[in-house]
Amino acid sequence: MATAPKDFRFGNFVGSLIQLIFWILIIVTLVGLPLIFIILFYVPLPPVNGEVLTPYLFFSMMVDPTRTIPIINFMIHTDMFRVAVFPGFSYAALLAAATIFIERKFLAKMQLRIGPLYAGKIEGILQLIADGLKLISKEIIVPSGADKLIFWTAPVAFVVTAAAVVSLIPAAPGWVVADLDVGIVAVFAFLGFFPLIALLFSWASNSKYPFIGGMRALHQMIAFEIPFILSALPVVILAGSLNLTDMANAQYPYWFVFFLPISAFVFYISSLAELERIPFDLPEAESEIVAGWLTETSGMIYGLIQLGTYVKLYALAGLFVILFLGGWAGPQIFPEEIMPGYTGEKIYNATTVNAVFWFTLKTLGMIMLILLPRGINPRIRIDILLHTGWYKLIVLAFINIFVALLLVYGGILGPGGLLST
Amino acid sequence: MSSNQSNTQNGSEQKEKVSESAQTSLSKKTETITPEFESSIVNQLVTRFTDKVVQVVYVRPGRTKILVPPNEIVQVATFLKDTLKFDHAESVSGTDYPKDNQIEVIYHLSSYSDEKLSSHVLALSTRVDRNDSRMPTLIDVFKSTEYHERETFEMLGVYFEGHPRNERFLLPEDWADIPPLRKEFRIKGR
Amino acid sequence: MGLEIVKETEEDRLMTLSVGPQHPGSGHFRFTIKVDGDYVVYCDPDPGYVHRGEEKMCEYRNFIQNIPHLERPVIHDSTNITYSYSLAVEELTNIQVPLRGQYIRALASELNRQVYTLYWLGIYGIFLGHSTMFMWPVGDRELFIDLLEALTGARVTHAYNIPGGVRNDMPEGFKDRCLRQVAYFEKRLVEYEDIFYNNPLFRQRTEGVGILTKEDAIKLGVTGSVLRASGIPFDVRKAEPYDIYNEIDFKVQYMKTGDSFARSMVPFLDMRESCQIIRTLLDKMPQSGEVRAKLQPNPKGPAGESYKRVESGRGALGYYIVSDGTPKPYRVKLSVGSFRNILALPYLLIGSKLADMPSIYWSLNYWPVEADR
Repeated sequence: MATAPKDFRFGNFVGSLIQLIFWILIIVTLVGLPLIFIILFYVPLPPVNGEVLTPYLFFSMMVDPTRTIPIINFMIHTDMFRVAVFPGFSYAALLAAATIFIERKFLAKMQLRIGPLYAGKIEGILQLIADGLKLISKEIIVPSGADKLIFWTAPVAFVVTAAAVVSLIPAAPGWVVADLDVGIVAVFAFLGFFPLIALLFSWASNSKYPFIGGMRALHQMIAFEIPFILSALPVVILAGSLNLTDMANAQYPYWFVFFLPISAFVFYISSLAELERIPFDLPEAESEIVAGWLTETSGMIYGLIQLGTYVKLYALAGLFVILFLGGWAGPQIFPEEIMPGYTGEKIYNATTVNAVFWFTLKTLGMIMLILLPRGINPRIRIDILLHTGWYKLIVLAFINIFVALLLVYGGILGPGGLLST
Repeated sequence: MSSNQSNTQNGSEQKEKVSESAQTSLSKKTETITPEFESSIVNQLVTRFTDKVVQVVYVRPGRTKILVPPNEIVQVATFLKDTLKFDHAESVSGTDYPKDNQIEVIYHLSSYSDEKLSSHVLALSTRVDRNDSRMPTLIDVFKSTEYHERETFEMLGVYFEGHPRNERFLLPEDWADIPPLRKEFRIKGR
Repeated sequence: MGLEIVKETEEDRLMTLSVGPQHPGSGHFRFTIKVDGDYVVYCDPDPGYVHRGEEKMCEYRNFIQNIPHLERPVIHDSTNITYSYSLAVEELTNIQVPLRGQYIRALASELNRQVYTLYWLGIYGIFLGHSTMFMWPVGDRELFIDLLEALTGARVTHAYNIPGGVRNDMPEGFKDRCLRQVAYFEKRLVEYEDIFYNNPLFRQRTEGVGILTKEDAIKLGVTGSVLRASGIPFDVRKAEPYDIYNEIDFKVQYMKTGDSFARSMVPFLDMRESCQIIRTLLDKMPQSGEVRAKLQPNPKGPAGESYKRVESGRGALGYYIVSDGTPKPYRVKLSVGSFRNILALPYLLIGSKLADMPSIYWSLNYWPVEADR
């Protein structure tokens, strides 16, 4: 707004500013301060400079910012932070949102067009927020005769399961929401829940086209679970552990993709099928069965399912990076100290930042590779899909299992081998 | 009125028995070209069925038209298909002639398999009475007439005996008026 | 009441689906199918959703006034659908079209054929889930539409062909622009072939699917690219050349297999051939001359009838016009390619899988609006 509105009066402007300051002060003292007191009563915070942390001491941090560092260090290592921010929900949701935007722009460039352009100043970057607001404001239509309980809870269950898979993926050494000893088995257990949700939702929609779509989703996802699991098996053999962090650490000199290229390929194809992406998007084939098992979704239910799908996309891409591409391994490009000469407590940890950087880069690369077939291929037919999943991929996965066994028993990889540390 | 040039030149009989409202050969266009090939087809027809059954309406380069009574049409069509190698019907249309109290149903036949006939369209026409318009169907001879005859039924009210579905095809389900291509059906406001 | 064992009847296994107008894969057309598992056992087309009574409306307007509404059945192939009408009216009223007008008419007809076929190709791609194959043809189609807009003044529904010739002459520099566009388009056709026709997934979905044998194609009376994909090299421009086509040398493109792949390949080959024809027409066109014959205010001719056909994007488009000596036609009947081809749909669909439905249905080159007239 370069020009002021016509009836602009300076006195009114100053008055509105004072009103703003007034309201801020009221809310801070009447609501903010008591809230901080309550939090500080219940949350154990470390002492600062030998003194107990009180709210007034907290506000004095504005004077000397280095006093906030112990607090930040403490907060970062709580469970809440991990679930909500870093390898957990916010990170996944941010990557999912970025994925949706990248997908639309990337596909548009391949198809000789521009993609979203108008929402937001730079090349339509706020398009997602616009879409999200639109979906929230739409009416949710529940078909008559639909099973209301399942109809409302299945999309929520979809997002919850996708988030559960995300919680098992480590993004840096030591940074994982749930560090299970049987990590990879838990991932597959959660992934096995998706066909059930699709089938339940399509049955609860009480309509013919979703029924066909649900059956197709069931057949497709179940057919590709076996090659999926079989292609992760050689990684377990070579790493010697079921824990995902150990698998990433075991790839120190050489990434597993060099020893297990066929497994990586089978994993890639199976993850395309699990994610229902083109060429495997039969359950939502638009021109044959309207929208498949998503036909009766509208408004925020559709929004939740899209969110779950893209979070699952991030999870599977991250899993591929952990299993085959060395996780967070990469040359150390961040300096050891960013402020040389500072001797106090530090938040910055060079290895962690480096790990996060390489992991994110590789995951984004993998995501682009998963988005790519959409611009190139048409949809596959159900019988060809099932034939591929049950026959061809299982045979290919077995080949690499034998290769991995040979490598381990031949003494090249695995514990005590020639090439492992 | 007949085209005297082609009459005397190739000596074929061109009898025009139908009324003036439809058929007059455009003699200006067919100047000196004698449509020999077309006349030979027509001659074969007239020889096989007498000219009481098959009446030749006109013979032009690439287009001929014959008129047969409704009860003989299946035989003539079978002869056209088996012997003369016309293998499909391009269209079936009906024209309402309230002045003669008749509806003319005309089949345009052509051939894909025969090279010389592929540029030729033979119009096989028949006239049914307007008030009692029934005629046998040609669906057993030319399968391609199935939907066209159905459309003629709903647009003009001609009932094709032997056709499996004499039903509404293009018109909406709640059509409650007379068949629209009849001349007494007026578009509202015109 | 106790429990009784109910035997499963044949009817219980079948599910009736209405691939209706409210379906992203059907167009303005409905067909009811009954599926047994994944196999289609019954199919019944139900056109008529866009029926406007074109043939009846023709009887209320004179010969020139009929042109704008007669091109509405196929708005983007409008030059061809009025070409046939103009030929029939010229025969009835004895008008001779000047030579340059004939060339321009043929040129506009070929350009329109490209526009229609590109649109059809785009929709075929998206029905099979290939979004790139929708964006590319529709994008390239825009360039042809720009050419037609420069020539006729409108993007679609050009109202360009009138009995007696075309409405106006080509603008300046049109020939160079057209040649440049055709050269660019031929390069694009190579890319289409790479991404679509040589794509193994596309071939898997369409080869061997919905085979229409030569005898059945003749028996069902199909026309256009469906006919040429079953091994019969019939093209109205070659079999019965109208206007200037007897001086243009081109090859009729046909394939022998008769499956969905052949039916999707033949229009592509036609487009390539069409580029050649456009070049030849631009070469041979007389540099100057009238483009339209001088007409009386209400042209009319002696009573008679005429049947003329033209090769449009969907097949042979025939007009049967009966005139009774007045300026308004007595009866106009359109014999459109789409209406003839729809007979093959139940024939091909019954016994095939539901997943093959898009590739069979749209490969029949069916334009619902034209079939309904």
